[in-house]
Parts: sequence; C-alpha cells; structure tokens
Amino acid sequence: MTPSVPDILVGNFMCMADPGPPEQQGEFLAGKVAVVALLSLLAAQEAERGAAARVTENAAIREILAEAALDYSLQGDWPADPAEPTISGLDRVNAALRLALMNLHEMVEARGDTVRHSSILRLYARMAELRRLDLPPLPGAR
Amino acid sequence: MSLTDRLEAYLSRIWSTPVAVSDLSRIPGGASRETYRFNAVAEGETRPLILRRDPPGSLIETDRNLEYLAFASFHGSLPVPRPVAMEPEGAELERPFFIMERVDGGAAASPFTVLPYGEHARGIGEQFFRILGTIAGADPTNLPLAKAAERPAPEDCWRIALDHWTKVIEDDQQHPQPIVWAAIRALRRRPPPPAQTVRVVHGDYRTGNFLHDGAGKILAILDWEMVHLGDPLEDLGWAMDPLWGHFEADKVGGMLPRDEALALWREASGLQVDETALAWWSLFNAVKGQAIWTSAAKEYRDGGFKDPVLAISGWYTARRHDQILAEALMRMEGLS
Repeated sequence: MTPSVPDILVGNFMCMADPGPPEQQGEFLAGKVAVVALLSLLAAQEAERGAAARVTENAAIREILAEAALDYSLQGDWPADPAEPTISGLDRVNAALRLALMNLHEMVEARGDTVRHSSILRLYARMAELRRLDLPPLPGAR
Repeated sequence: MSLTDRLEAYLSRIWSTPVAVSDLSRIPGGASRETYRFNAVAEGETRPLILRRDPPGSLIETDRNLEYLAFASFHGSLPVPRPVAMEPEGAELERPFFIMERVDGGAAASPFTVLPYGEHARGIGEQFFRILGTIAGADPTNLPLAKAAERPAPEDCWRIALDHWTKVIEDDQQHPQPIVWAAIRALRRRPPPPAQTVRVVHGDYRTGNFLHDGAGKILAILDWEMVHLGDPLEDLGWAMDPLWGHFEADKVGGMLPRDEALALWREASGLQVDETALAWWSLFNAVKGQAIWTSAAKEYRDGGFKDPVLAISGWYTARRHDQILAEALMRMEGLS
C-alpha cells in the first residue's frame, strides 16, 4: 500500500527540512506542523499493526483463492509471505494476491456465484478493517 | 523574483496603475491549489485578495477557467467571493492562477475534527443544504459557467462521471485496490436513472470547503475547482459522504439528520430525491473520493514526499474510503 510508513517518515523529514520562503511561514508552517504531527501519530499505529494486518490479509486471500481453485481452474501458485516479514516484502506478496483476488471476483460476478460474491465482499470489509487508522478526537477550530 | 514582485508586476499591468502588494501569506490546507492571502494597494485603496495558484504537482487535474466562471456565476446570489482575474497560462506568476476578493473573519473546519461548529451545527447545516439546493435549482443556461462547461445529456451524466474517475484510478493506482474496483463494477451493473435535469455540480461541496463566522453564519462557499454540469444528486452524495461526518454517524456533515438535510435541499432546489439514484451517487462518490486519494498518493511520491497534505489524503482518507466502500457494497447486497 502506498504511501508506506517509510515514505511517510521520510516525507515528514523532507517537508520540515526545507523551511520555505517567507510567505510560507506563520500560519502555513503551523498548519504543516500539525499535519506532520498527525502523520507521525498514524505512522506509529501502522508500525505497530501494519505487518500483522498484512500477514492476516494475505492468509485470508489465499484461503478464499484456495477454496475457489477447483471451481474456477485457478493455478494455485500464489506467493508465500517472505521469511522476514517486513512491510515492503509483505506488500509485494499482497499486490500479487490482490490481483489474483480481483481476477477471481470478476469471474465470480460473471458466473452469478452469489455465495462466493458474498464471501469476497465480507473479506473486503475485513481487509478495510485490518488497515484501519484511528484518528484521535481532535477538537474543532471553534 | 519573489512572489510579491510577480504579483505587483501582474496587477500593475492589468490595472494600468502602480500596485503595491503587502502581507502576502500562504494559507494552509488544500493540495489542488496553492492559496495565498495578500493586500493590493492601488491609488490609495487597499483591496484584500486571495491568490489561487496551481502547484507544481496538483492533487487533481482541474480546469481553472471553469472554477473562475463558477465564482462569477454565483457571486451576488450566494455567499461566493467576487472573482478578480484569471490567467490560464500563468503570465507573470509562471503557473496558472486566479485571484478573487478575500472574505475575512471566517474559518473552515478540518474534516478530522469533532464538533467543528459547536452549538451552531444545526443552523450552519440548514444554510449548507439550502445553499446546495439553490445551486442545484439554478438553470445553468444563462450563467457565465455555461460559456465553457460542456452540457451532458441527462442519461449520460452517470457514465461520464464514472468513466472520468475510473480513468484516474487506472492511471494513478500504485497498489491493487480490489474494493474500489468491485464498487466500479457494481455501479456499471446497476446504472442510475437519467438525471431529472442537468445542473451545476460544485464537485467538492462538503464541510471544510466553506467559511463560517463562528457565530452560525456561512460566509463563503469555496473550492469550486471540480465544478461541472451534471446530475445534481452528485453533489448531494458527496456532501453526505461519511468521510465528512465529523465522526457523527447520525448526522450528515456532522450537522443535520439526513431526512432534514434532504428536505431542505428539495425545498431550495425544487427537485426530487430518488433514493435509488441517490444510493448510486453515494457509492459513486466514495469511488470518486478513492480516485482523488489515489492521485494524492501518486503525487506525494512523484513530488518527493514533501507535501504532508498529499500524504494524509493518500493514506488516512484512502483507507477510510475503503471502509466506506466495503460497507456500502455489503449493504447493497443485503449483507449488513
């Protein structure tokens, strides 16, 4: 998934390292600091939960693909997670699995296979939940 | 040459008199345009102005001419600032821009805050949906916007909108997104009825894109960069998207119960709300949102990770819209 945690943290450094011209100080800089602070907070959540979420999602996609393999003549050569479960390594596997899932879902829809269609939609809801980022209750401006 | 120098050169040329620019300051928020406030002093008169300039990389590709004409179309009849000048080629400022009069004393809510309008939420919500209904109720034929905006046939509105945002995702996607593609296929399988009429669609009408005075009054409707002609239910679906709900599930925009908002819109617009059509446009708007966030993630990477607004758009909001899309797909199939 993009941007990744390293992207975000490098970006936080890059955008704060360059102070910008005089007209971009004051209110604009304060706003930028607030967004960088929020990104750092969310990055902490992703660092804590991101790898586990990807491992779980990848396993769930493999399970639904394997269950449908016979009916849909799927090859079954889906990639395994890397031995060292880094987020970037898991994302490479996740990209391949998601493409296979999208392909399966299109075939399921074309066949009118409502049972598997429902299973895939439930998986989507689970995937979205696994990737959830939680904002703190920020107070309104006024 | 500083931006102040460039603005002075430009305004002096078009106003044919020496202009001094002071208090130039960039305003935070928004990634589709760089926004600056400044004062222009000419012949002893001080004019408070806003500059909206294209950034080197933009969150969305938009037509600044249409945006300018939208301000011209509704200034005077709605709380919309007066447009002053527009240069699609950039002129002295090197990048496309337009200038409008500044509305002072207002605040815009961040979508990430709770209770941004406090005790004034209901009053602001009533104005918000009445103004949207007034935009939807306006016959575009004689508006300045009609000079440049293409007018689709009512039966084509949905397809044009969906094709446009589908292509954005196709072009900018960097990681496979099965949820949004499932939603796109679902939208194509069950198209909405033709638009009851073709009207001005603001394109980004939501909390956060208007200024309010902190005492319950909307001062200015802003951010018309995605304006076009289309199905007026498109704006309604976007305005009520859960992303803009300020964490209040029982109120649209964190301001009003849904039924009350729709009643106000119907009354102001003179139009009807077909719930089947609105459900289609609601799901469409979650796809459109995901397209915008997909572009944001790409721009963030292409721009060297320097704009944190692109980061938050391409990351937090993208994941939030995946949740919204997944829930909507489940509802559509009676699974939740």
